[in-house]
Amino acid sequence: MPTVLDLANLPDADVVALAQQGREPAYRELLRRYERPVFSLIFRMVRDRETAEDLAQETFIKVLNHIDRYRPEFKLSSWLFKIANNVAIDHLRRRTVDTISIDGSPHAATRAEIEATSFDVESRGESALEEVESRELGSAIERAIARLRPEYRSCIMLRHVEGRSYEEIAAMLDLPLGTVKTYIHRARKELREALEHLRT
Amino acid sequence: MERHLLPSEIDLLLDGDVGFGTSPLKTHVRKCPSCRAEVEDARATVKALEHLPHLAPSPLFAERVLSRVSIFVPWHVAVLDTLRGFVPSTRRGRIAFGVAGGSLAAVMSVLVLWIAMRFDAVLFAAGILADRVRLAILDAAGTLLAGALGDSAYTIVRTSGLFGLAVLTLALIAAALLAASLLRTVAVHRRR
Repeated sequence: MPTVLDLANLPDADVVALAQQGREPAYRELLRRYERPVFSLIFRMVRDRETAEDLAQETFIKVLNHIDRYRPEFKLSSWLFKIANNVAIDHLRRRTVDTISIDGSPHAATRAEIEATSFDVESRGESALEEVESRELGSAIERAIARLRPEYRSCIMLRHVEGRSYEEIAAMLDLPLGTVKTYIHRARKELREALEHLRT
Repeated sequence: MERHLLPSEIDLLLDGDVGFGTSPLKTHVRKCPSCRAEVEDARATVKALEHLPHLAPSPLFAERVLSRVSIFVPWHVAVLDTLRGFVPSTRRGRIAFGVAGGSLAAVMSVLVLWIAMRFDAVLFAAGILADRVRLAILDAAGTLLAGALGDSAYTIVRTSGLFGLAVLTLALIAAALLAASLLRTVAVHRRR
């Protein structure tokens, strides 16, 4: 059994093979690799931290409890994102949700609630000015993403945040390739329009 | 190319497509300030998207997930793990374990070969051993029976052969069932 350090260097398929042998560190490694991408995708879909955590949890439980069914010819990440998208879309169909900004939920009344609902953004070593600028743009783009239709939202995030190809997105979301291209095109257009005021 | 770029053509450039299709588009963008501004505008949006950070769930997220995941260990992995448990962790220990295991395997192989070469003698010895074991069991059973039911009952059972043994066995089972039933009745009465 490889050590935790070795696990970090293994490709997904090998880590999954170890998980299929019932190795708990392999389960932890898969969670470590994908908790942020999956949570981010869901959070940007549902715009509520608590709900996003519950849905991300549901996604991982579904995947890890059926890890024996995983076939190595497919990407694990595609399987995860497919389930994450499905649980998020199902949730959105069940209820209407409000949008929140990067600075926390609009329903947050106290400082503690604002902190609890605000994003935990990793620092990328920017200067103070760059940080303010990117925070402003980040906030604006987060708001613009929130205004997109959920189908556009998942497509645009998989394309540009997760760097997936059109074909992968089509397979993940069970959509025709043409539809994915249309959604991404429309999402880009809407985002450009929403961010226009920042460039003028 | 005399016209401005179509939205789908801007998408091609944004996706970084290469080849003959995009080359005239790139040439046009270099010449046309309006299309260049359009493409740059679109690129800025895509760049902003690509710089969006991954957000972190709460620190206990992984623990919460794992508490609800049933980790299944296949039987062959469990067996291998158990066997691995016997193998020493140090190099010296592993060598000693290997030498001991190898010696044992060699001795067993020699023994099996020896038995195979003297199979008739082995059968004869096994027959004697089986007889002795059977006699020992009968003696023990006889002593037990004589102690429990008396010498006369033992003599009757012994003289009547298999039939007597069967009758005795049935009588014992019936007695056990009767005793169990009586105990149950007493217990029920006490509970009331």
